[in-house]
Amino acid sequence: MSATSWVLAEYRSEEELYAAARRLRMAGHASVDLHSPYPLTRSDEVLGLSRSRVPLLALLGGLAGVATALSMQWWTNAVDYPINVGNRTLVPYPAMVPITFELGVLLSAFAIFFGALGLFGFPRTHHPVFEVEGFRTASIDALWLSVEVKPEEAERVAEDLRRSGAAQVAVAPEAG
Amino acid sequence: MTPPATAAARTDALEQAPLIVGTPTDRVLNDELLDHVWNPKRGWKILFGIALAGTGLLLTGVTVTLARGIGMWGNNIPVAWAYDIINFVWWIGIGHAGTLISAILLLFQQKWRTSINRFAEAMTLFAVMQAGLFPLIHLGRPWFAFWLFPSPATLGLWPNFKSPLIWDVFAVSTYLTVSFLFWYLGLIPDLAALRDASRSKAQRIAYGIFALGWRGSARHYQHYRIGYLILAALSTPLVLSVHSIVSFDFAVSQLPGWHTTIFPPYFVAGAVFSGFAMVMTLMIPARKFLGFERVVTERHLENMAKVMLVTGLMVSYGYLMEHFIAWYSGNAYEAFVFSNRANGPYRAIYFAMLFCNVVVPQAFWWRKARTNIAWLFIASLLVNVGMWTERFIIIVTSLHRDYLPSSWGMYAPTWVDWSIFTGTLCFFSLLFLLFLRFVPAVAVTEVKELRHELAHAHAGGKEAAH
Repeated sequence: MSATSWVLAEYRSEEELYAAARRLRMAGHASVDLHSPYPLTRSDEVLGLSRSRVPLLALLGGLAGVATALSMQWWTNAVDYPINVGNRTLVPYPAMVPITFELGVLLSAFAIFFGALGLFGFPRTHHPVFEVEGFRTASIDALWLSVEVKPEEAERVAEDLRRSGAAQVAVAPEAG
Repeated sequence: MTPPATAAARTDALEQAPLIVGTPTDRVLNDELLDHVWNPKRGWKILFGIALAGTGLLLTGVTVTLARGIGMWGNNIPVAWAYDIINFVWWIGIGHAGTLISAILLLFQQKWRTSINRFAEAMTLFAVMQAGLFPLIHLGRPWFAFWLFPSPATLGLWPNFKSPLIWDVFAVSTYLTVSFLFWYLGLIPDLAALRDASRSKAQRIAYGIFALGWRGSARHYQHYRIGYLILAALSTPLVLSVHSIVSFDFAVSQLPGWHTTIFPPYFVAGAVFSGFAMVMTLMIPARKFLGFERVVTERHLENMAKVMLVTGLMVSYGYLMEHFIAWYSGNAYEAFVFSNRANGPYRAIYFAMLFCNVVVPQAFWWRKARTNIAWLFIASLLVNVGMWTERFIIIVTSLHRDYLPSSWGMYAPTWVDWSIFTGTLCFFSLLFLLFLRFVPAVAVTEVKELRHELAHAHAGGKEAAH
């Protein structure tokens, strides 16, 4: 991996931010990202993001939970150590519902939580964007744009962003 | 600090009180809502000291129980379940409001949930922790608690999965875990806001670690939003399942007074009722002393009072139906249990329950009562007491006189019962005070989002009017 640079720019309005992101994407920068203190309404469309895979993970987690619960209750209470209570059935499906539901929810929740963290690449507390002191406002009240570029391109991209009306622009280097 | 809006500030009689008072900027919201973390309030240390001392009671009670055995408690045959299960059900019921507010109101797009959800979720977590403690120490030998989970052992035995008590283990532990994940996922952007607003390097590092590296990325928000929504959709039936399963512990048995089909919905309604009461009890002082009056307005309190009225009516319907079925079934034992509740030795507690749970919430039919802070606080305390007495009535009066008069008995708690119960109240307060000291108690990110939504809606409305 060669070293890359991160160019950051702060904008005063959502419209300016979206416009700058669209221009960069048209210019062939695929890694454009937006940073804001709250979720932006049109960011998915502006960045051209495909559908999130989190719902699929949730479904798979839920199915895994249901399968685990059913096989666990069946194998332990009917096969490995059958408990015969007054000759009642060893596999009572209605009585298996509560645990099956609970384990389905549990594994689905794990899949969502850890799946999302995995997709974010978290925990990652040393990201290059944090090298820019002004970027701290991104979680408080400011709208930022970030793009990963080759080091030799960094100055040119920064200059473009400055001219496009950014309130401030900064470059953060990353060792590859 | 701007004063909260009063009814006089409303332009229209039909227009409700605002969800956010004034037009604060994101920066102002950030400063105000995180202020309680940077500048601890004066009374905090005193309250913390009291809660810490009270937690000593819990330690004493648990130590005595472990050293001498559960014979130190007042329960014995015929009342084999008493304070341990009363307190378990009471605490777990309180723990229902958090996820209800966070998940169900999120799915119903009730925007007023935004300022109180984080607070209520934390309350849920801490209440479920207290709840879990009771069955754990009631095991007698809690170091074998892992036997409740299927673990391969030399005994070759497995848990009996046909038992509602095992369902309970799975329901409560799943509820605790999922509530924690839901709470933490919602908290990540707020922890990042704390990290970036921190004033010292130590704070920045500490909150930086807990924020896991959140940078408000739109690519992350895409996964985050859908993940949070699905987690809410999963938590919704989960909330309903937990207290239903707790009620199976009773309903599946043959005991008159327990063996009824109305238990699951009636328990869930009672849980939501007591949970909202506890949120109210904690929120009324917190919004005053921590300065949340801008985002937790009269309208939030009024809406919570309405939920308490509705769930209080459901609980009242449950009482009525239990008595009706006891008479209508023609079963002499059922009829006796219910007449014994009103006429037997525990009738004072029974009438206290009726007063707190049936009479008190009726005041919320009137707007004056729903917006009077002092009354709301008193009513919420009374409902908490009422729901505790309800569990006492269900458990103790059903057990103490069942089929055979020769096996009747009376129950009274011992000092160990009292110190464990009081101790959990203090331990709960201790955890809650730590939460108020170190973690954003209002979902800052969601309030900012709501502010932008409201601003857009307002601007849109103006344009449409022209």
